[in-house]
Amino acid sequence: MRRSFLAALAAAVLPAAAADWPARPIHLVVPYAPGGPVDVSARVLAVPLQTALGQPVVVDNKPGAGGNIGADAVAKSAADGHTLVMGAIATHAINPSLYRNFPYDPVRDFRHVALVVQVPNVLVANNDVPARSVAELVAFLKANPGKAAFASGSTGSTGHLAGELFKQLTGTDMVHVPYKGSAPAVLDLLAGRVQIMFDNLASALPNIRAGKVRALAVTTATRSSFVPELPTIEGFDLTTWWGVMAPAKTPEAVVERLAREIRAAIEQPDVKEKLRAMGSETPGVRSPAAFTAFVEKELKTYSALVKRSGATAD
Amino acid sequence: MEVFANLWMGFGVAISLQNLFYAFIGVLLGTLIGVLPGIGPVATIAMLLPITFNLNPLSALIMLAGIYYGAQYGGSTTAILVNIPGESSSVVTCLDGYQMARQGRAGPALAVAALGSFFAGCVATLIIAVAAPPLAEVALKFGPSEYFSLMVFGLIAATVLAHGSLIKAIAMVVWGLLFGIIGTDVNSGVLRFTFDIPELSDGIGFVIVAMGMFGATEIIMNLEQKEKREIFTSKVTNLWPTKDDFRSAWPAVLRGTALGSCLGILPGGGALLSSFGAYTVEKKLSSHPERFGKGAIEGVAGPESANNAGAQTSFIPMLTLGIPGNAVMALMIGALMIQGIAPGPQVMNEKPQLFWGLIASMWIGNLMLVVLNLPLIGMWVKLLTVPYRYLFPSILVFMAIGVYSLSNNPFDVLIMAIFGVLGYICSKLECEPAPMILGFILGPLMEENLRRAMLLSRGDPTVFFTKPISAAFMVASLILLVVVALPAIRKKREEAFAEETK
Repeated sequence: MRRSFLAALAAAVLPAAAADWPARPIHLVVPYAPGGPVDVSARVLAVPLQTALGQPVVVDNKPGAGGNIGADAVAKSAADGHTLVMGAIATHAINPSLYRNFPYDPVRDFRHVALVVQVPNVLVANNDVPARSVAELVAFLKANPGKAAFASGSTGSTGHLAGELFKQLTGTDMVHVPYKGSAPAVLDLLAGRVQIMFDNLASALPNIRAGKVRALAVTTATRSSFVPELPTIEGFDLTTWWGVMAPAKTPEAVVERLAREIRAAIEQPDVKEKLRAMGSETPGVRSPAAFTAFVEKELKTYSALVKRSGATAD
Repeated sequence: MEVFANLWMGFGVAISLQNLFYAFIGVLLGTLIGVLPGIGPVATIAMLLPITFNLNPLSALIMLAGIYYGAQYGGSTTAILVNIPGESSSVVTCLDGYQMARQGRAGPALAVAALGSFFAGCVATLIIAVAAPPLAEVALKFGPSEYFSLMVFGLIAATVLAHGSLIKAIAMVVWGLLFGIIGTDVNSGVLRFTFDIPELSDGIGFVIVAMGMFGATEIIMNLEQKEKREIFTSKVTNLWPTKDDFRSAWPAVLRGTALGSCLGILPGGGALLSSFGAYTVEKKLSSHPERFGKGAIEGVAGPESANNAGAQTSFIPMLTLGIPGNAVMALMIGALMIQGIAPGPQVMNEKPQLFWGLIASMWIGNLMLVVLNLPLIGMWVKLLTVPYRYLFPSILVFMAIGVYSLSNNPFDVLIMAIFGVLGYICSKLECEPAPMILGFILGPLMEENLRRAMLLSRGDPTVFFTKPISAAFMVASLILLVVVALPAIRKKREEAFAEETK
């Protein structure tokens, strides 16, 4: 009885709340430090979004604990559409399996509004590695078991998990060398101290084009329009992604409107071009419902990958 | 010479009205945020990023770069006047700069810091122009084992940094190392000393610790003295450095510039290390090491030149390899990518105007900073006449805002307060904060590189001695250890410090 009364009350109040949304500036929380690709794309998106919504969109950086602090803060904030988060593959697919005592449910505590960026990873090798294809790389690794090393931005990052998956699928053995962020990892790859790396396309592309490293394959299921010459790897379907999410109880009308405006924003030619410059193709996931399904699928994929890799952050 | 033709072209681009305007905006903003404790170039550049979307890439880069090196100038002002490192790189400037201010010599300290920075900026700009690509190769030569050996050397040299007892210095270094361990272990992902507080899982920020140990502590110390709170301004003698000041400062500026230019190239805290390094070098070379920590002008000139040179040369790995050496460089890469330019080896050839225009603008920006800062010295010194009952609360408020703005987290403000109290206890025990801060910076880097080197060598510790650069640092460390341990020298060191402890 009481519950149905509350539901009725909510039904009466919520549309009103949605009608005058946005009533004040919108905070888009980026759960990482300024300067990274998630931060930069949030700032790119904020510009057309505030024109469309008629309220300022402020980007707030709340880094810490692999993005969990920022995502958790949004999960527990008022669900009125004024606090949003750039939820990413780490905060919503990998970390839940990586951390003990994980503070939120990546599916049930959020409304997944719109996927904004989807970047393929590429398998790159130092120029001294005698391999021009994945098959040659596998042969080289089999001939030198445990001698080669692959770098990653951190334990449990997409780069690490992709490397572990590669080892399993090909039956090869490499040492994993984690770094603090991908910049120092790329440096050691360039210098030849580590032999291979699964890096995101945007950061790897300049060095690939300059011939400083050799790209062997993409990690996506289909070829990328940025590097159509690169083949896919059998058994791989990994991308790095992030998108706008809201607290779970955000009114449906707000989520719909937001999803529509974000979709329109990322399809504007100048925004599209800026996101493409970061290695992102316009994502095929187009509705909030499809985004939720996508997050659920990714969560499953990575929980299996994390388990198999034996990685933990706790 | 091709370099000069290129530089000439760079100046041609940089001197356009629009680019001069953005350079000025950049250095002005940079100076302001540098003066404000805690509010650093990273937060500022992030906020300004959307503005750059509609600028041409060069103007955007010029402005952002201006903010960065402007902050290096501004940061020393707060360090000298109120003993609060306005930027992380000005921590060392606190040591002697503030003591100079206490003696009424804030003016000369500020002037030497500005002129030293200007000189260093000019030299470093020239270095980038002439030798950026070959120097980038040097950065590539530094792998985990080389970094580890460099840090061992730095840590051993750091014991020289402290005055007073050697035991206390070592204790403080170890304490710093332990604080540095807090957070997530890079290799295994295990959380260490975080007590289930998620905010601690990325460790404690260096700026927070430095602001607490220097700034907050200083305020508590001053409040404690009810009657004779220090008033520096009654003792202000002159605003300009004397001839003697110049004579003792210029060799320090030269050495600081050289050291800063070298270490700045190394990604990962190079610019920061260079100011500590320069201070150690000056103290070691000085015929009166006992003056350090008590207002030695070399102790301001060396580190200030070093951090500015380091800030400038840290552009080298970014421009030539596309690898950000620090958070600011990561932001610049972000800004460039938005413009459709992927920073990397090809930028120099494909966008020569951008590359050389930026370099030329650095020199112009440095000139602007000197012109901007020298007349301001009088004004800054006047700031000291503000009564403490107004000055202290406002400084505390700015510190809190600054620390909060680092990651929008109130927890960090609490941590700063805790370190303020710790710093107070340390100063009561006559333990210097500088070795602790250095241990805090170097500890995590050392561990990370040691374990990475071992991973890469498959557990073979001889790599530290078989690689030439690494071996050189190890041998140097060994010599330094022997020198410190030799009875005769130890006695001399104690003599030098004997006066201070009295």
